[in-house]
Amino acid sequence: MTTLALPQRWRVPGWGVCLVVALVAELVYFTLTTRHFADGGSGMLALTEQFVPTGVVALGLAMVILTGNIDLSAGANASLASVIAGTALEHGYGTWVAVLVAIAVGTAAGLFNGLVVAVLGIDSLLVTLATQFIVTSIATSVAGYAPPYGFAGSFLRLGQGTVADVPVALLIFLLLALATIGVVNYTTLGRSMVLIGYSRRAADYTGITSRRALCAVFTLSGALAGVGGVLLAAYYDSAQPENGAILLLPAITAVVLGGVDIFGGRGRIGEVVIAVLLLGFLSQGMLIEGRSSLAVTMVTGLVLIGALVLKVLFERNFRASWAARMRQLRAPLSHLGRPG
Amino acid sequence: MTTARNVQTALPAEEDERRGADITGLLRRREVLVVAVMVVIVAVSTAVHPYFWASDNFGYILADSMVIALLALGETFVMLGRGIDLSVGAIMGLSAIVVGFQIQNHSMTLLPAVVLGGVIGVVLGLGNALLVAVARLPPIIATLGTLGVYSGLEFVVTNGNQVDTIPNSMTNLGSSQVLPGIPEIFVYTLPLVIIAAIVLRYTVFGRSVYAVGDDAEAAYRAGIGVQRVLFATYLIAGLLAGLAGVVYLIYTSGASSTTGVNDNLSAIAAALIGGTALTGGRGGAFGALIGSVFLTVTLTAMSFAHMPDVWQPAGVGVLVLLAVLSDRRARDASVARRSKRRRWRR
Repeated sequence: MTTLALPQRWRVPGWGVCLVVALVAELVYFTLTTRHFADGGSGMLALTEQFVPTGVVALGLAMVILTGNIDLSAGANASLASVIAGTALEHGYGTWVAVLVAIAVGTAAGLFNGLVVAVLGIDSLLVTLATQFIVTSIATSVAGYAPPYGFAGSFLRLGQGTVADVPVALLIFLLLALATIGVVNYTTLGRSMVLIGYSRRAADYTGITSRRALCAVFTLSGALAGVGGVLLAAYYDSAQPENGAILLLPAITAVVLGGVDIFGGRGRIGEVVIAVLLLGFLSQGMLIEGRSSLAVTMVTGLVLIGALVLKVLFERNFRASWAARMRQLRAPLSHLGRPG
Repeated sequence: MTTARNVQTALPAEEDERRGADITGLLRRREVLVVAVMVVIVAVSTAVHPYFWASDNFGYILADSMVIALLALGETFVMLGRGIDLSVGAIMGLSAIVVGFQIQNHSMTLLPAVVLGGVIGVVLGLGNALLVAVARLPPIIATLGTLGVYSGLEFVVTNGNQVDTIPNSMTNLGSSQVLPGIPEIFVYTLPLVIIAAIVLRYTVFGRSVYAVGDDAEAAYRAGIGVQRVLFATYLIAGLLAGLAGVVYLIYTSGASSTTGVNDNLSAIAAALIGGTALTGGRGGAFGALIGSVFLTVTLTAMSFAHMPDVWQPAGVGVLVLLAVLSDRRARDASVARRSKRRRWRR
């Protein structure tokens, strides 16, 4: 029976290729239609500063989603980190101290999530739903009525500076992306993540300390959210407690658009990076065209749904005959996979 | 092991009745536990601030919790089917805006407004239902997408304007009280909860929702049209969110392009506190009502205790954590569930 077949491992061939083609098409389109989009290449690069924080948060989220969990608190963690960095700077601490403290706070928030999820065995959706509320409150409370703004130049360089026309923020993002790819593909932790996502039970039988791995993944997500928060504060030159929370949905969208299976076990970080660029340039291009940010949200939602419908259709019917396809359409449970 | 657990959770109503035989068993029922804690909170708050007991304050609390109660009620249907709907807040907002403009600019009366709100909710819920039950997208992703689309639509529809003039004849429903402490709006919302409870407990459809949420494969083998049931749950969630939009208008007498975008998670939190499990198959309609009233009581008590408003989200978060921690089966279920690979997809 098809309904009891093991989940198939193959994915849409070259999902990454599809994303690259879409990205190139999009860049060409905006370059041709919108005058200030490319601006001799440097304009296009400068646009990345705007969405790099989302990308950094998405990297951490991608690892969490690879394990079949979710981190709804990533955006709030970024908010908290940016507020902490801003407050530290306001109190006269140096740039590096502020950055390190902010990332440490993000990491601690992630560690808390990881401990609750791994030790108490509560569903990550519930845990991070709750911590999201709590962290938001802490961030708002720390920021107070007058959130800190007007930071030193050495801090702003992280979000606004350039090295030979390439934004520093973009460099940080690419370095972190490379590091994440390295962790996921070439370390024991990374392989554990994927296996846990593919099958928690198999991972346990293999002797993987999945609790430790889960804890590590959430901590990494918190740390990356911390970096995202620092970049946010440096880009906007202010630490608004709402700035991070709005990153969550675009970040999840980027991860899912990047081909990471929301149930875990499948996905490539490289494709998530392309998806981040794709979505980021899409929103920036539309903003330059003069659309409102909510229209951008709407299009992002449509892109997410459209891409997923396509992907699910492709994946389900890949290498299946027409008859098998019809059978699958009629069998209500073909997509459930094998229970147990 | 897994099988035994499934058998246990497959009969939530019966099990609860059996457990209700003695006092400790009674306390284990979530609704009872929540009400007990609520009574304690009310007692302590009243002891400190006598005004907490005033009928005005009670009316305010009940009226304030009705919007979330309706959203949580819809969310309960979806969650019982082991789904999640992140877009209910946006549906509520869109319904409030469209209906609000009709009332404001075309002096629509209450009954057509309710019908229009319901229709808008069903249409938007249809979008979710199609994506989840027909296109078979994972609910969390599908409704995340529609959240983006619907909240964008809110902005498009308002076009920079907002609803701010709702006739007194309507807003009175939110403020006038039929009995001391019982606002009129509560009287109109309660039947919906009762109907939902009856549907869930005594109809074939209601039992199917539980069955699908508990184990879709078993439900399918038992002859239940799994996708049809799921389709219906998202429609119901949309309908109730649409009605919640009208209630929102009546209660707040206004709506803007950002109405409801933050209410999704509160609705889920209220349903969770009321004892509905994200793992499906467990919970009930009254849980949604009690959970949302509990949420408002606690937040009101917090502001009576002079805690700054910024800590209110943290209060919600702590309540959700406590609700989950106090639920022994949530932990067992999450461990069991993780071994099921396709957990969000139905």
